Amino acid sequence: METNSIKIKITIDGKEIFLDEELSILDAARQNNIHIPTLCHHPDLSAWGGCRLCLVEVDGSPRLAASCVTPVRNGMEIISANEKIIQARRTILEFLFAERNHNCMFCPESGDCELQNLAYELQMDHLTASSSFDKFPTDMTSPVMAFDHNRCVLCGRCVRACREISGARVLDFIHRGPKNLIGFDLNETRENSTCHSCGVCLQVCPTGALSNRYRSHYSVKGHDQKDWHKIESFCPLCGLLCPTTSIVHDNNLLKVEAKINQDRPDRGQLCVKGRFEVLRTKGQRLTHPIIQNKNNTWENTTWENAFDLVGKKLNQIASTNGGDAIFGLVSSYCANEHLLLFKDLMTNGWESGYIDTFDGHDFRTIQKAWERLDGQWQEASWEMIPKADFILMMGATPYQSQPVIHSLIHRSILENKTRVASIGNNDHPLPFATWQLPINNGEESLLTKAMLIKALDLVKDPFRTTHWKNIYKETKDIVLADIINKLGLDEKGFKIFHDILKSFSASLNPLIITGQGLTGLKDVSGFHDTINMSLLKGFISENVMRIIILKPCGNSAGAWQLGISSPKAPSRSNDWKGGLLLLSGEEAFSHEFSNHINDLDFLGVISPFFPLPLDNKADIIIPIPLWMEEDGTYTAMDGHENVFKRRVLSPPDNVRDTRQVLTALAKKAEFYNQNKPEDFP
Amino acid sequence: MKLPKIASVWLEGCAGCHMSFLDLDEGLLDILAKVELTDSPITDYKDFNFQDLELGIIEGGIANEEERQIAKKLRKQCKILMAWGDCAVFGGINTLRNSFSTREILQRGYIETESTVNGFIPVHESLPALLEKALPVNSTVRVDVYVPGCPPSPDAIAYCLTEILKGKIPVLPTDMMHFD
Repeated sequence: METNSIKIKITIDGKEIFLDEELSILDAARQNNIHIPTLCHHPDLSAWGGCRLCLVEVDGSPRLAASCVTPVRNGMEIISANEKIIQARRTILEFLFAERNHNCMFCPESGDCELQNLAYELQMDHLTASSSFDKFPTDMTSPVMAFDHNRCVLCGRCVRACREISGARVLDFIHRGPKNLIGFDLNETRENSTCHSCGVCLQVCPTGALSNRYRSHYSVKGHDQKDWHKIESFCPLCGLLCPTTSIVHDNNLLKVEAKINQDRPDRGQLCVKGRFEVLRTKGQRLTHPIIQNKNNTWENTTWENAFDLVGKKLNQIASTNGGDAIFGLVSSYCANEHLLLFKDLMTNGWESGYIDTFDGHDFRTIQKAWERLDGQWQEASWEMIPKADFILMMGATPYQSQPVIHSLIHRSILENKTRVASIGNNDHPLPFATWQLPINNGEESLLTKAMLIKALDLVKDPFRTTHWKNIYKETKDIVLADIINKLGLDEKGFKIFHDILKSFSASLNPLIITGQGLTGLKDVSGFHDTINMSLLKGFISENVMRIIILKPCGNSAGAWQLGISSPKAPSRSNDWKGGLLLLSGEEAFSHEFSNHINDLDFLGVISPFFPLPLDNKADIIIPIPLWMEEDGTYTAMDGHENVFKRRVLSPPDNVRDTRQVLTALAKKAEFYNQNKPEDFP
Repeated sequence: MKLPKIASVWLEGCAGCHMSFLDLDEGLLDILAKVELTDSPITDYKDFNFQDLELGIIEGGIANEEERQIAKKLRKQCKILMAWGDCAVFGGINTLRNSFSTREILQRGYIETESTVNGFIPVHESLPALLEKALPVNSTVRVDVYVPGCPPSPDAIAYCLTEILKGKIPVLPTDMMHFD
């Protein structure tokens, strides 16, 4: 139907309104600042017409119409509120209150509840109908969200958000009539369902049915919502840099909400990390520098002492053993500015012989593979996922590393019928993947080799670059059957293997998603073979390969692009005497040379938290703010853009900015004065 | 001049609404000068003899037999009945017990609680029997003025009292309404 040319005239409460398109009455009214109360309606979700609170009178009809689902018609005369309409709305609201337990006094969402606000607005000061007092279940199986069905009004927002925003389609209505509930999958608990805890249901829930287990609004009860600050920022925890709105009261982070946005391929969701984990306390915060004394106990020291001590110790090592005896390790969760300052401090301050990030190994694996290629090619952006018709997950566990990507793949399967092969040791396999092929630890490289050989056999008219000749040469003497035997694939396993590769070779727009499962391995051939396999199907567009590499840390791409990670692995002969670690509080401290730091003369740690696995190795710990307490730029996982992330909280009193700490250390460093640029103040 | 008589009672509640009333501070003096307060929780009558009241006030819900009778007695003797607080208006926190039987509640409270040794459920003629469900006041008697809130703010209480003394039946305005 051609609607663009229609010019519609309607009247709301006597006001004439002209419209170019066929909106709902509700949208037309809201565009003209006419207030109509709603409950099940949400601007980012499809209209549903379930709650009937948006009733209006149309053309004097005795039957009121739900404005959210009634389209405007030329000449329509609408009354948005009169005594009868308000009475109807209040009665509906009373029924909603009476149906289940809506006692605000013991609800964690009181003060942040749309149902409650409606009751105030409509002056619902009591219930005429008696409450049912029926008992409904409560699902507390998830560590991050509670679902109290007693507080549910069955508005269906969560069901629509789960389908339309997250695409997971976990939630739906179950049972009938007064027993109607929101259910997970086929009436599972949340923990046993396919829910990946993105929390979009919680964000759109208008009542206390869904609540955040890490924070309750009780923490600010009695305070006015107008004291809440909404701060727009980004989540830097995995490299997707999802836009967020943080709600802060009195320097307390109350909640983090996604900016629902239909333009982003993920439609603006968040994941369990960005929405929930950020609220969890991850360790003991430090507010003073502490030093370890001779009895292996920690004591407070002043900032000046701390900087002096680090300077003195490292200067000593530098003058006796030279810069090669000093190393610097930094977390790839740090902002670009901190990474650069740290590298500058280590190289110019102490002429440090070795600087690396904790994910340096992954960097080197990828770097080596890139060097073998004969073109300036880029990896694909994660935003390509919805366009793929075949996805091979090889050594990638986005459920843990980039949950929004997991969600995107999940949705691609359900919405686009994308065929997905999930290969590897995956604790949270995609429940609807077309193929699952579990493999044993240590056999990843064998399997990728087998896949490459099979793909060479199956892909018709492979994309031929000069590099292709190398691939062919390297593999022509290997017998596939031998590898299959070594892998111990049974008949069923081999059929899956065969089907995956057949589908890969027949696909028009395949994507391979890989990650730490391959880049983190000692044996780099698995990653190389995977790259080679992707090349057989050519490029997505000029220079853009059919491969997405999931990065281990939030700002890995930034650290790698800025050259912070070392191109060389640390050698065992490296005679380290002392060094500095810069932590962000997000990383798990595991590095291939964590063994090297056992017998050092001096180890300084800069960290927001008391760094537990290192506490008996460090000599001094200098506190810094958390990422959410500092501004900084971060680089997106695919390396294509940098985003400036505003801070959402102030650091604790006393704690100095990371830039302040690193600059203060530079002033104490032996060579900094010699190495500084001439125009340095 | 004869002052209008007022009585307030404390049923299944925590006395928080009366505390909120006391929080009117010096505002109390203005109101008390205009009324005769015949009963309130501090009069501590063991039996009530309400007579010709202009206004009866109930704090708390109806959860046992005695409370039901007091509510009925008060309703008969007052022209206007006002319910104070979430318990009187909606049932409030008492309704948490409504998903269990009274038997289960008493068993849990007097016998099974972790700190109880040799517990028993007390039975005495002076102890009123629990009703099967804790309910709001309007489940038992007609209520004219509702002041929800846990507790209602002193402003909300003062507003309603003043309006009633002016001869009006107030409905709490949106900005004074809160349920928590």
